[in-house]
Amino acid sequence: MHAFSKKVTMAVAVALPLTLALGACSAGGGGGGGGAGGDENTLTAWAWDPTFNINALEEAEKVYQEDHPDFELEIVETPWEDLEPKLTTLAQSQQFGELPDIFLMQNNAFQKNGVNYPDLFSEIDTDAVDFSQFPEAVTAYSTVDGVNYGVPFDNGTAIQALRTDVLEEAGYTIDDFTDITWDQFITQAEDVLAKTGMPLLSGQAGAADTVMMILQSAGASLFDDEGNPTIDDNPALDEAIDIYTRLVDSGVFVEVNSWDEYLGTFVNGSVAGTINGIWIVGSIQGAEDQAGKWAATNLPRAEGIDGATQFSANGGSSWVVSSNANVDLATDFLATTFAGSTELYDTILPTSGAVANWIPAGGSSVYAEPNEFFGGQPIFADVVRFGAEVPSNNTGAYYYEGRDAVSAAITQIIGGADLKTALGEAQANVEFAME
Amino acid sequence: MAVSATNSSRDVLDSRLLPGDQLFENFAKLIGVQDLGSAMWNSFSVAVGTTVLALVVCSIAGYAFEIFHSRGKDFVMAILLLAIMIPFAATMVPLFRLFAEVGLVNSLAAVIIPAISTPFLILLFRQASRSFPYEIIEAARIDGVSEVGIFARIYLPSMRSTMAAAAVITFMTAWNNFLWPKVILVNNAFQTMPMLISNLAAGYVTDYGVLMLAVLLASLPTMVIFLILQRTFAEGITGAIK
Repeated sequence: MHAFSKKVTMAVAVALPLTLALGACSAGGGGGGGGAGGDENTLTAWAWDPTFNINALEEAEKVYQEDHPDFELEIVETPWEDLEPKLTTLAQSQQFGELPDIFLMQNNAFQKNGVNYPDLFSEIDTDAVDFSQFPEAVTAYSTVDGVNYGVPFDNGTAIQALRTDVLEEAGYTIDDFTDITWDQFITQAEDVLAKTGMPLLSGQAGAADTVMMILQSAGASLFDDEGNPTIDDNPALDEAIDIYTRLVDSGVFVEVNSWDEYLGTFVNGSVAGTINGIWIVGSIQGAEDQAGKWAATNLPRAEGIDGATQFSANGGSSWVVSSNANVDLATDFLATTFAGSTELYDTILPTSGAVANWIPAGGSSVYAEPNEFFGGQPIFADVVRFGAEVPSNNTGAYYYEGRDAVSAAITQIIGGADLKTALGEAQANVEFAME
Repeated sequence: MAVSATNSSRDVLDSRLLPGDQLFENFAKLIGVQDLGSAMWNSFSVAVGTTVLALVVCSIAGYAFEIFHSRGKDFVMAILLLAIMIPFAATMVPLFRLFAEVGLVNSLAAVIIPAISTPFLILLFRQASRSFPYEIIEAARIDGVSEVGIFARIYLPSMRSTMAAAAVITFMTAWNNFLWPKVILVNNAFQTMPMLISNLAAGYVTDYGVLMLAVLLASLPTMVIFLILQRTFAEGITGAIK
């Protein structure tokens, strides 16, 4: 009995402070999740980047409040790297009640989540949102089995941005790099390198961004229409890798080890250009001493690939109405703002550099204003125009697995491995991941 | 990291190795875009709460595993040790479901509770208890000291170095905890320092000076705790292995 009471005393001594402490810690809660705002005039949203996506949401809230003064938007800052595992955990644990009304999703991850976790999404009413006002290539990301689950926002249209002072030193202008093929690009870039000592491009070693942009410029993909990988029997991919290999071997494309180093190459002026999504402009403009020395144009064309164009994309994101949302309010909010307000896009372009996918926005005077950093070129109007020309491609549900496998293969090929062997391994790896 | 925190983003990208004059500007930018005070407080609450509770729970468990005799205790210990091998990602979904069902999603308690009982700390205390003379416990019992009294007034004071080692390990782990908090916390008000750093690195344009300052500030508490408890930490670790 004595021993028993000792044990009880010990248990109480442990349990009591534990309970009190945890009770004190568990204050708050609510608010952030749960379809979610709490009243019929409030929406919650998960998005990342306060200066870009969150700024756009805050401005959209103001636009919507003009006709809906009681409306409120609660924004929870959630980086995509955190948002994706959060969505996966919620879907796998079937706790959809913790979802916000709206969340932002990377376009390249849309098919994977749409196919694997359809219960996360609400269908976007096509009567409310006119999807014909967005480029088809962009709406294709968020369309699963013919149903659209996303309102496109962030424009990932690719540009070729080059230093005009360096080109001039070598006897070229930006027009010499407009509407050209990759063969012409390599020839001219080699000439620029010989005359100025400056390579034109850089990128992370082991990253497939450039190859994927070349593929999309021809509407090609790593997967067939049924979603099966086509890495080991894909002439477009072979050609894209051949172009990339020639770029690196000729010295006009400098491979670096990290994203930070990549940004550093053009910010510190060791490389005279870059090819990437329009969002890279924010980093380019960080080099204030290079103001007026840049110009942007379309991409080189991969002549050896059927259907090749001068246009492509890298990145971009779309708004999702969750399955836990106040669907009517969330859809109306997105239809009125991101799919219907020139005023919104005119506001966020100068403040955050967020370029519209919504085609009517490109016609506004704000988009046509000259950009002094780019020598007075109205680059944002150009980008919206480019965006409408980007071919649609099939990202497939296993886009990132395919991309990672191709990245590994590119590293091997650059290191001297046989193309067919490396791509065969990549194909096997993706098939294994899909099992 | 310290040098970069005093430089502008452009200087960091230029690999500048000398201290700059942007420290206060970086600090102003940091508190302008993120709620630094709240993140520090949340991290501190989680780390201190986890450390205190983990020391209480694991020291009792380690003591009990070594001092009290039961037929099944070695089997239970083996199960505990096997649990070390299960990656957290594998238990995250059922854990989330559990916390959602008891209404603890989006609370600091949900971050603390899964971390207060760890097999490693229990093993650490059990190993340390092996060098604790059992005769002292028997003598105390004969003298009429209660079991709680033996644990609190005789055992714990002799375990100071083990406590210090366990405190450093737990505090550091709790302070740096990222995966679980980012999944279970869905409100800016509960953001911790690792989550704040993740936010700073998430945008299209990263301010590396501000990012490095945040990383520096996030590293300071663990550095200070380690430096204060360094000597006893070493004694605690070696004592546990003996």
